[in-house]
Amino acid sequence: MNIAVILKQVPDTEANVAADPTHPGKIVEDTLKFILNPYDEYAVEEALVIAEKSGGEVIGVCIGSDRAEWAIRTAMAMGIHRAVFITDPEAVESDIITQAKILASIIKTLDVSLILCGRSWIDLQEDALAPALGHFLNIAHVSNAGKIDVDCLKATVIRELDGGTLEVRVTLPAVISCSKELNEPRYPTLIAIKRSKNKEIKRVTLSDLGMTPGTPRSFVTDLQTPSSRGKGKIVTGDPADMVKEAVQWLSDEAKII
Amino acid sequence: MAGILVWAETHNNAIRKSTYEAATVGKLLGRPDDDMAAVLINDLDLAQSLGTLGFSKVYTLEGEIFNQYASEAYCEALAVAAEEMHADTIILGATSRGRDISGRLAARLDGVLISDITDIKTDADGIRFVRPMYSGKLLAEIRIDHQPAIITARPNVFASGEYDVIEADIAPLAITDISIKTQVNQALQAAKGVLDIGEADIIVSGGRGVGGPEGFKAIEDLAQALNAAIGASRAAVDSGWIPYKHQIGQTGKVVTPTLYIACGISGAIQHFAGMGSSRFIIAINNDPESPIMKKADFAIVGDLFKIIPVLKEEILKHRS
Ligand SMILES: Cc1cc2nc3c(=O)[nH]c(=O)nc-3n(C[C@H](O)[C@H](O)[C@H](O)COP(=O)(O)OP(=O)(O)OC[C@H]3O[C@@H](n4cnc5c(N)ncnc54)[C@H](O)[C@@H]3O)c2cc1C
Ligand SMILES: Nc1ncnc2c1ncn2[C@@H]1O[C@H](COP(=O)(O)O)[C@@H](O)[C@H]1O
Repeated sequence: MNIAVILKQVPDTEANVAADPTHPGKIVEDTLKFILNPYDEYAVEEALVIAEKSGGEVIGVCIGSDRAEWAIRTAMAMGIHRAVFITDPEAVESDIITQAKILASIIKTLDVSLILCGRSWIDLQEDALAPALGHFLNIAHVSNAGKIDVDCLKATVIRELDGGTLEVRVTLPAVISCSKELNEPRYPTLIAIKRSKNKEIKRVTLSDLGMTPGTPRSFVTDLQTPSSRGKGKIVTGDPADMVKEAVQWLSDEAKII
Repeated sequence: MAGILVWAETHNNAIRKSTYEAATVGKLLGRPDDDMAAVLINDLDLAQSLGTLGFSKVYTLEGEIFNQYASEAYCEALAVAAEEMHADTIILGATSRGRDISGRLAARLDGVLISDITDIKTDADGIRFVRPMYSGKLLAEIRIDHQPAIITARPNVFASGEYDVIEADIAPLAITDISIKTQVNQALQAAKGVLDIGEADIIVSGGRGVGGPEGFKAIEDLAQALNAAIGASRAAVDSGWIPYKHQIGQTGKVVTPTLYIACGISGAIQHFAGMGSSRFIIAINNDPESPIMKKADFAIVGDLFKIIPVLKEEILKHRS
């Protein structure tokens, strides 16, 4: 069974992301370290495990600027077989729903039975990719999967839902977004990293797909650093005294008890 | 009529807090009173009570396909209502169901999606939605140039407000044509009394400093005294001390409680990504140099096992 995995490059979780003073709504990128979206690693791992069992290829699909090739190479070092990469700035800069539409039109050209992606993109903090892909591909989607069992034509998926879990059975092809609960992503070996450099990355453009970039639907007009926390009270000493002070604070300042 | 459509999310035959919050967001858009409708799926006995949230109209849908949550059916129900009223704005709580529906709905309606908003600004430049990005490291202001807009509101941010009480006009709708490709095998409810961290007003969290699964007993005790939900750092989850659904942070849940009590948690940037916008933070840590101590509103330096039992007793005493 062939599987598509959606890949995205995001700033490292430790990175100090700052607003670009000269380009309103943009961040300073030159000095940032970028990584493969952490949730995408769970999707890659899951795809590899399923493909190893069933036989078949795992194909990465990525929208990103040229530097996002590193995210693709990272997934290749983990073991994915090949990738399709679209770098048109109009695609890179469009909103998540438009990106889902573009990704769907690429996926339609691939012969895949399952599409996996990360639960969320940690840069934009959006969880909308799998649901939107589900619509554009006219197939089922399951968000936030903690367990996936695939048999030939269907998959049983357990997902978390506020206040419980849901076990669903979906007809394949389907799109599933992956949470941390699924697996422990593998570390690429040195030899795998070396081999990954020769794997095929096929570049496509919007015009190859017969798509014209629409006008942007939303604009980030401003990015601000949230007012910093801190200058709080720090107490030391005898537990009973500290607790008294804390409870006083809870009742007088925070007004919680 | 063009207008605002709010998803009336229900749970165990009650209107969820997320619905009140979504109604508040609708109000903040500052449109005429009769501009706001709700869509209610099953639980139709709650329809009239939605009038008290200021909805002039309630679209209702019912049927067996909605008995368990199923993304495609719920998305289609909202789409049908949105099309019926030509909604220009659709508002949902950013709960796990709300997030799940909103992405598919935005695609289905050819709309624009703004997720997880925490504020709305209105001035001469028009309306902008504020939402955290990059794990809360930045706050973005977003202008929308397209309709319909699908907006989800971060839980616990928009208080339920004063609403005009309106006699809601009830309009039944039906889904005519949908093939659902998902079959629900079973839905498991969390044990009664277990609060969901996503919506809890107070969260007590434990990290590596808790020392082991038994250590979480102290966390549970304090949580019970405060009627709080239980959170955890990734270190505690990865050690197998507590299930993943309690994890807060970059690769766990993002929460916005009124009070967050971090016990034996150092406050790594990835943890902060999940709880940094809590209204108040208390930290209990024996290392005054831990990053969390500089971020907390109230930091207690000491052994959590010595502090927590005293704190719990003192809170119970204060309450009675
Ligand atoms: C991609 C990525 C994603 C991540 N996602 C998350 C995430 O979602 N959530 C998350 O939490 N982390 C996440 N992390 C991990 C994060 O970097 C930290 O490793 C983790 O948060 C540390 O957990 P901790 O604070 O419990 O442990 P530690 O950093 O080990 O801190 C333990 C603290 O307990 C204190 N302590 C010890 N004993 C006691 C005692 N008896 N009384 C009081 N205090 C005591 C210590 O002083 C210390 O400050 C992620 C990391 C990466 C790279
Ligand atoms: N931004 C980047 N610049 C250079 N190399 C990268 C980058 N991201 C990932 N890599 C490569 O991808 C592999 C895994 O990277 P890492 O997970 O950061 O250790 C290594 O072989 C790196 O060379």
